[in-house]
Amino acid sequence: MIEARDLAKAFAGPALFARLSFRADSGLVAVTGRNGSGKTTLLKILASLARPSAGSVSVRRGEQELSGDDRRMAVGWSGPDLAFYEDFSAVENLAFLSRAGGRPAVAAELARRLEEVGLAGAANRTVGAFSTGMRQRLRIAFSLLFDPPLLLLDEPMSNLDSEGRAIVEAAVEKQRRGGIVFVASNEPRDFAGPDQVVELGK
Amino acid sequence: MSSLDRIWAIAAKDAAQELRRRVAAASIFFFAATAVTLVSFAVGPFGLPPEARDRVCGALLWIILFFSAATGLPRAFVREEETGTAYALRKVAPASLTLAGKTLFNYLLFLAIALVTVPALSILLEWRVGSAAGLAAVLALAGYGLAVVATFLAALVARASRTNVLFVVVSFPLLLPLLLSAIAATAEAAGGSFPSTALRVIVAYDGAATCAAYLLASAAWED
Repeated sequence: MIEARDLAKAFAGPALFARLSFRADSGLVAVTGRNGSGKTTLLKILASLARPSAGSVSVRRGEQELSGDDRRMAVGWSGPDLAFYEDFSAVENLAFLSRAGGRPAVAAELARRLEEVGLAGAANRTVGAFSTGMRQRLRIAFSLLFDPPLLLLDEPMSNLDSEGRAIVEAAVEKQRRGGIVFVASNEPRDFAGPDQVVELGK
Repeated sequence: MSSLDRIWAIAAKDAAQELRRRVAAASIFFFAATAVTLVSFAVGPFGLPPEARDRVCGALLWIILFFSAATGLPRAFVREEETGTAYALRKVAPASLTLAGKTLFNYLLFLAIALVTVPALSILLEWRVGSAAGLAAVLALAGYGLAVVATFLAALVARASRTNVLFVVVSFPLLLPLLLSAIAATAEAAGGSFPSTALRVIVAYDGAATCAAYLLASAAWED
């Protein structure tokens, strides 16, 4: 379960959003709003990658509030700002991030992750040679690396071809059935029949 | 996996990146080589009076090590910000482990610079070190302090503009006590005695720097 209470975020100038509260226990949550309404920032705050100006976010497993590594592993995130080590191959990137996250890098497991996003054939190619669509697929693989019960996907369909879109749709549907998935997008077709909508910039 | 495994994974990643690109290593070693060569040509082995040689060479060594470090050590954090990989790293590892991993890599890089600079100074300026064990201890302990402070400051300035200038300006006053102790200890070791007193000061500095860096890691590296 994730709960946001009275969240606000302001950079220089007026607040992006203020007094934003919601709670999600399961299913698909769509985060919508015009450009610049704060969708990316909100997902970064939920992923503990940015601090809110006010308010708080709690992530719980049962009655236990998660923090530190438990929370980091429980929340998967992908966004347009996420980049990988250009000199490393896709599998080397996932192996390093897995080890740095405290999980052993099992070759078969990493190969499966890349196969799930259609990158099996490019596993040993350096990320610097990847197209924007391939980078997006790698972002999705990264977000699922620790099998998180809560998945935050910011513009997950950007730069993807129809096969890539189908892969993300399947991942979102699977997560929706077994956990919580947030999808932030301007495109209504990126989230079919969400269970909940968080609308920014109203 | 233990925290040590994760720290090692981060240090090994930085080392692998450096081995593939050689950006920091090349600039550091080029700076060190240039400085040693210029000093040796300008001063030469006979330009230094024997009684001043240990002190002058000790100061030269640490000036070269400090500016070599300032040239390359901030790269470890700045590169993560510049290339956008900082988010991936922040998502998987806490700031304290990231800082420790990058400190380890920077420490090893510093030792590599020292391994090249000391023999070069020794040959070109005919500098004879009386207590090799004393000098090794000074390099190991003061090098650790320099790596900790440099890495922490790199995390702090990584998101600022003009990171290199900012790094040198901020690091100089913070590293001054360490550098002065290291120069005194190096001169003492070169003279043949083990610099116990100066090393105690350096160890105290290392301890204080480690505690401060650990406590402030999150504030420096996370949003």
